[in-house]
Amino acid sequence: MVATQKLYPRGTVKRIVKAHSNRSVSKNADILIFLDYMLFMQELMREASIRSRKSGEKNISANSVRKVTEKTLRKFQG
Amino acid sequence: MATPKARDRRSTANLNIESNTPSGETTLTGLQRLPSHTRYPLTPSRLITTLTPSAQRSVSRFTPRAKASAAPSTPYGLRARQQRAANTPGRDRRRSGRIQRETTFDILRNLGRKLAPVSKPIESSPQEVVQPVEEEIDEIEELDNEPELERPRLSLPLQGSMEASEEGSPDIPPPRLSIAFDEEDLTYQSVEFPRRDLAIRDKQRLSIIDRGARMSEDFGDTRLESDEGIEEDTGIVGEDGFVDDTMMSGGDFDRGGETEDLGRFHIEMNFPSPNAIPLDDEPLDDDIGDMDGFRLSPGDIQPVPGTPSDGGAGDDNDAGAGLEYGLNFAPAASPSISPGLVGGGLRDEGLPTTGKQKRLSRHGIPVPNLPAGVVKKLASQFARNGSNSNTKISKATLAAIEQASSWYFEQVSQDLAAYSKHAGRKTIDESDVVTLLKRQRHINSSTTVFSLAQKHLPKELQQGMRLAMPP
Repeated sequence: MVATQKLYPRGTVKRIVKAHSNRSVSKNADILIFLDYMLFMQELMREASIRSRKSGEKNISANSVRKVTEKTLRKFQG
Repeated sequence: MATPKARDRRSTANLNIESNTPSGETTLTGLQRLPSHTRYPLTPSRLITTLTPSAQRSVSRFTPRAKASAAPSTPYGLRARQQRAANTPGRDRRRSGRIQRETTFDILRNLGRKLAPVSKPIESSPQEVVQPVEEEIDEIEELDNEPELERPRLSLPLQGSMEASEEGSPDIPPPRLSIAFDEEDLTYQSVEFPRRDLAIRDKQRLSIIDRGARMSEDFGDTRLESDEGIEEDTGIVGEDGFVDDTMMSGGDFDRGGETEDLGRFHIEMNFPSPNAIPLDDEPLDDDIGDMDGFRLSPGDIQPVPGTPSDGGAGDDNDAGAGLEYGLNFAPAASPSISPGLVGGGLRDEGLPTTGKQKRLSRHGIPVPNLPAGVVKKLASQFARNGSNSNTKISKATLAAIEQASSWYFEQVSQDLAAYSKHAGRKTIDESDVVTLLKRQRHINSSTTVFSLAQKHLPKELQQGMRLAMPP
């Protein structure tokens, strides 16, 4: 695709996972990890927007994001 | 002669039931009328012929079909007509001037009225019924006699009260055994402890060492959340907190500046948790400053992975990372127990992470941050999907999202490390991520990795994925 020349820095994602897990990451596994991260972001923003709408805010506030973070993280526990 | 007579009577009765009889006859009550019919039985044909035209009109008015005026041939039809006549209240209204015609119900009711003063209720053999009543009376009498027995109790009031308290609340003593004596009030009544417990648990879970969050910052937030009905939750969470206490060092408590926690911590050493065993000696002597060193030094933690069966069975996340045994966070059941408190604990994170850009993971490896532009792009993309198109993500929101994503990466990579370790590999493979996606229920029978990738990823990344894992 031409529109998205670079979705994310692959090296950075690999380094993050590597640092946290103390294991090396295979060549293309970071794509899937980032795919999961996208799903996480989708869920997080969805929950946050629901939360902020429920509390009557126009935009998504940091507080609503923080409130749904825990819940969403729990959902993404493997 | 007997049989046709009986049949005639029945047929006339039927006619009486669903068709209007002449007004002169309806004035008669059933009991008077029944013998009259036996005396002068009418065949249906005769009855019809003797009917006045007005009566015939009324019959045709009530049942519009011509066939309906005839007597029903089956008992079912008869019953249906009776029910219909009983269920339509308008019928009574229509012939308001007339006295209501009688049915078999009327006849039976009149019979009942006649017999009511004479008949007596059936009495069953009373022997078995009476005896328990007598026994009850005896018990009551015994209870009444008990005050006399209580007089000796007056000399033994302590024993009585002890027994009563033991019977009344048998559940209270066991929790007391696991909980420190004096801190019980603190746990169940103070606002302070659940608040701190949250922060502590989050700290264990996401071992972000370098944030200098002050515990008192989220005091008000927790109070707000407690309005949502955490009355019972605080008690439960408090107990969880005690479980946690055994697994953490004293440093976390000292951040709150409470010296009572140290006392509780000493007492908690007796708690028979498998995870707590290797840590037993250190936190007693450890001070605040040793906290970070404790987390980072592998020497302290090395004995812990020797018991992988304990942690692995209890919590999957812990299986891979050896360090996590020591810093085990709340058991998997606790999130569901304390849903209301969950959000509050994460609040103190937003501000302080800006202090150091390079954080260290629990393995001592510097963790880069995902660039803010990427995060913002993703967040705005998905926020736009959720609500209207012009969602704007403020700086504070972005910081919160970045915090969440860094936690996410920490959590996910620990899970992945656990999976690869379980598979006996040294590298995190694609299959590990697929396992993770499966366990997160993103992949099921209807959704594959490839369909997910097709939905979210650009094509060149899909190709890279396809190369890595042929379908």
